[in-house]
Amino acid sequence: MKQLSGAVHDLASELVSALRGGDHSVAGTTASVGGDEALTVAAVRTLGADVLLPSTLLRRPAPEPDLAHFREAVRAYPPGPQSSPTVAWSHWAMERALHRATAGAGEAVPRHHGHPDGAEGRGAPEADAAGPDVSALREAGWQALTHQLSVLAALAVPHADSGVAAEAARRPVDVSRGFVRAVRRRDWLQAAGAGRWLAVIGGVPSSLGLDAGLRFVLGMGGADPRVALHVHAATLMRADGLATPDEPDAEAVTERAPADPGATA
Amino acid sequence: MFSAETRTRDLQSLEVDVEEALNPTEADGTFRDSRECAVLLLLGGALLLSPPTPRPKKS
Repeated sequence: MKQLSGAVHDLASELVSALRGGDHSVAGTTASVGGDEALTVAAVRTLGADVLLPSTLLRRPAPEPDLAHFREAVRAYPPGPQSSPTVAWSHWAMERALHRATAGAGEAVPRHHGHPDGAEGRGAPEADAAGPDVSALREAGWQALTHQLSVLAALAVPHADSGVAAEAARRPVDVSRGFVRAVRRRDWLQAAGAGRWLAVIGGVPSSLGLDAGLRFVLGMGGADPRVALHVHAATLMRADGLATPDEPDAEAVTERAPADPGATA
Repeated sequence: MFSAETRTRDLQSLEVDVEEALNPTEADGTFRDSRECAVLLLLGGALLLSPPTPRPKKS
């Protein structure tokens, strides 16, 4: 686990560098983990669709070696029948990102839905457009919702059309409240993930002060490249006007829900 | 043969690690109640600054 988290950190640092205008290559990460291809592929699977985030946000084609690693991660780590919804959603997001990155090239995207024998389909299939089941997220309280959304922050991209994004967009005040809670708990990774969702969904109360909040999270937790990755992604999306504007008249957000007193832990 | 077995074991362990990383439980947060901290700080300060209790003089 320690090895994997190290590789994930290395890869996330590369991505942060790319988002800040520098260069990025998964191949460089492979070299930094001693040429261990399997470990790099596992790190790519862990970061999920975010590995292609620089090409999505900066609108430039992904390097072919990165796509090769990405494709291998999609193929090697399909969600099993016992996998959690976050694993299934993360894999779904990778398939979509790969489809977007290779759109027009007519390339085959590895699939798992309805293809237990590992057969490959062409592009993201229409039947998979809705994505895995989202009912657990729909029924979650605001604390659990924020935790789950933060784990799935790679799905928070401009013009996201997933079921997860729809749930997040339906509950902006709950996600705002979860963002405040995460900051108060000093859970910087969760705060960064929630902040990234808030950057793409509409209806966020302006009283939240999202920009200042994101800067604070970066200052306090930016040593973790995964935190920096989410914050830089959120900042880029807000700066580029890709995000939906905040809600000006919304009431002040407090961590404690009126209908749910004392539920902060 | 041994190296192939080791490699399979490594890959299986990686699969478990990836699954865990993609479905983490919520980290234990540090929650600080500002009022509680202020009371504790004032109490500690008062104890430190208080004069020593008077003791009977030795005759």
